Amino acid sequence: MPIQKFRSVEEMNAAPIRVVAAGNAFERFARHCGRFRLIYPRTYPRGVFRFRSFEEAQAARERHNVGLADHSIFPNAD
Amino acid sequence: MLRAFRAFESEGLEYVLIGATAMGFHGLVRATEDIDLLVRASEQNIERLRQAFRKAYASDPHIDEIQSTDLLGDYPVVRYYPPSGDLFFDVMTRIGEVASFDTVEAEVKEVEGIHVRVATPEALYLLKRDTVRPLDRSDAAALRERFNLKDNK
Repeated sequence: MPIQKFRSVEEMNAAPIRVVAAGNAFERFARHCGRFRLIYPRTYPRGVFRFRSFEEAQAARERHNVGLADHSIFPNAD
Repeated sequence: MLRAFRAFESEGLEYVLIGATAMGFHGLVRATEDIDLLVRASEQNIERLRQAFRKAYASDPHIDEIQSTDLLGDYPVVRYYPPSGDLFFDVMTRIGEVASFDTVEAEVKEVEGIHVRVATPEALYLLKRDTVRPLDRSDAAALRERFNLKDNK
């Protein structure tokens, strides 16, 4: 399915996962992430942060993403 | 991303790749910014992790802030933002009370000659199945459909 069409960004984000052949899966994945960074470049802090749980780490990421959400056309990325 | 995997292999880091990057290896492609790693919880392995990051990211001084006393103690999750600015790493020694390097089933994938230890689709499904984030539930549904997984574990 080389082309997918969506009526809205919301509809596009409801179908974020594309299944590709296992043989070149990583290459496709890396290209997809590269496109994402071009479309929606983000600024990260630097350094090391520690968390008491995976959930705590996810919550910190969500807080960071909320601060950027006004510019997001790709909110389903994590 | 590849330079990190290359460094992990050359330093002998004991790890399992989980999360969206692992799904990408299995052919389920969606955008992500982070690399989730479950690493063996030992001081020696945490030192390998630091060495690998130093090799991949030109001795970034922040790497010294990754402490085995944290990862083996009260802070089993450490997030590292390398100077490249294009991604970040979530390094874990355990998830909750059950998931760790020793309990997550993995297989070795090869990309550009680099061997990457990736959680199996079944293991990824088990990790994501009972989480609360809609994105994780969506991932779990995709894994279940793609690999015909059953809820028997």
